[in-house]
Amino acid sequence: MLVVENLHKAFRTKTGTVRAVDGVSFRAADGEITGLLGPNGAGKTTALRMLYTLMAPDQGSIRVDGIDVAKDPTAARRRLGVLPDARGIYKRLTCRENIAYFGRLHGMAETEIARRTDALVAALDMGEIADRRTEGFSQGQRTKTAIARALVHDPKNVILDEPTNGLDVMTTRALREFLKRLRAEGRCVLFSSHVMQEVAALCDRIVIIAHGRVVANGSAEELRAATGEANLEDAFVKAIGSAEGLH
Amino acid sequence: MRAILTVWAKELVDTFRDRRTVLTSLLMGPLLGPLLLAAMLSMMVSQQVDRAERRLELPVAGAEHAPNLVAWLERQGVDVKDAPADVDRAIRRQDLDVVLVIAPAFADDWRANRPALVEVVHDASRAQQTGVTIARVKALIAQYGAEIGSMRLVARGVHPAVSSPIAVAERDLSTPEARSGMMLSFLPYILILGAFLGAMHVAMDSTAGERERQSLEPLLATPAARAAIMSGKLAAAASFALIALALTLAAIVVTFPWMPTDKIGMKIDLGVVAALRMFAVLVPIALFGAALLTLISAYAKSYKEAQSYTSLLLLLPMIPTMVLLVNPVKTEVWMLAVPFLGQNQMIMKLVRAETIGALEWGIAIGAGLALAAVVWALAARLYRREQLAISA
Repeated sequence: MLVVENLHKAFRTKTGTVRAVDGVSFRAADGEITGLLGPNGAGKTTALRMLYTLMAPDQGSIRVDGIDVAKDPTAARRRLGVLPDARGIYKRLTCRENIAYFGRLHGMAETEIARRTDALVAALDMGEIADRRTEGFSQGQRTKTAIARALVHDPKNVILDEPTNGLDVMTTRALREFLKRLRAEGRCVLFSSHVMQEVAALCDRIVIIAHGRVVANGSAEELRAATGEANLEDAFVKAIGSAEGLH
Repeated sequence: MRAILTVWAKELVDTFRDRRTVLTSLLMGPLLGPLLLAAMLSMMVSQQVDRAERRLELPVAGAEHAPNLVAWLERQGVDVKDAPADVDRAIRRQDLDVVLVIAPAFADDWRANRPALVEVVHDASRAQQTGVTIARVKALIAQYGAEIGSMRLVARGVHPAVSSPIAVAERDLSTPEARSGMMLSFLPYILILGAFLGAMHVAMDSTAGERERQSLEPLLATPAARAAIMSGKLAAAASFALIALALTLAAIVVTFPWMPTDKIGMKIDLGVVAALRMFAVLVPIALFGAALLTLISAYAKSYKEAQSYTSLLLLLPMIPTMVLLVNPVKTEVWMLAVPFLGQNQMIMKLVRAETIGALEWGIAIGAGLALAAVVWALAARLYRREQLAISA
């Protein structure tokens, strides 16, 4: 369970202060998939970075399973599985070694790491590549490795920043099934996307962000009802105020 | 602590699988330095021996003005040659090392008991190559002059000793090891530089490189403390530098006994014990270098930027060596606390086989470790910055 309240974050640049996140509140429940939808530059990545404690918010609070991230970031990180926007893997290590490295950093025992790796390799269908060095992996294989690495410690909450970026149709479909499986296991899944169809197909709850603010929040039906649009894409455009930055 | 070990082990595995890096930094680097050193030393020794023992070839201009001198030189085993018409040009063009010019007035002056002029024409800027030859020529002329002078005094019924009121003799107390120390003054620089920048690749690759490959952000999202992650990377970098240093020292221990330095009255004896002591002297420098490189990599916005900073670091260990070259001073204890200078002096002491007290050991190593700790703390602070992980 992730609870975000009134999050603010500003960056000073040469041209002035940019309010990347300007008052974002939402909650992502266990056993649900929550989608953070917004055009490029809406503040999704910055909001997620604060969630997984890479950045400290200027204002506002974040609770992971009731733990205040500002007070105990380490405990919060233990409960989070994170696939950041930056998802580089170590190309001279095998897929399995990449996963094990993160397992050890989570303080897991070797037998536990092996057990979890086998489970994830099976779930993500990467048996063929598990013992290969990741140099020369396809984008999809790299993303799978990064996801397995993020989930090795069996986290209750899973945060994925644009997980389908650069993936082909088949891999995207497989990934969707995997996210549904995580939901079925009772986890709290939060992912960001700028692709409306993807969010519509998958999410129990949609949080639409534009210009650093939450402009709409609810299930697909609720959004359609609130905006008075039958089509979700039109509802989305109406919610963010323009079609700019979509796709 | 476990996180430090995990990161350390991963970074070393990662580096050792990078075959090219391992080849250049662990094979070429450690072997090339000592081999170059050995080759240079052998060349210097053989040249010096050659110049001191070879039959002296001496072009003489105006030999006809002093047939006695020329005949005497030939009796001393000198191979007297005709000098070219333009002596100065031959010396300037470095065709000849030295020419003896006998003045046309030599015979007249000689007969009148005035000092007769001979010129030893040479180029002092080439003393490195020609010094031994010129010294031999001057010594021969001086010896001839002394002989003739004594004979003139005897002919006048004066004892020759009257004209030598003072006898000067030299006693050189330098040990063969110390004399070789003069020759090995560049050895500390090679070793210090190796220890200091041996961590370069690993330190830069594991921070600036990792950020550019976009894997630093997920790494920092794990529960491992940032200071622990940084320390693991630093330890891996330092380990790599120390492995390279150990190989360098091993190469020196193996190659140096083969050098013919005893022929010029020097003794280079870098045994295993001296090598181990040098290793101990350089451990703090390796830690300091790894910490400094980690700090720079964390500070720089890109790998490229980090590289341009590190090229400046090459100059750092050179400074004390340069200062000592220009102004060779006796080692004071406080100098051992100055980074690079201290290590330089300690290594020279080891080369010269001097005894080193516990205080000196303590200062040299303690100061180095303290410095490394300070830079480590700075690097840990820098690692906590928000911008660290974000590459774009």
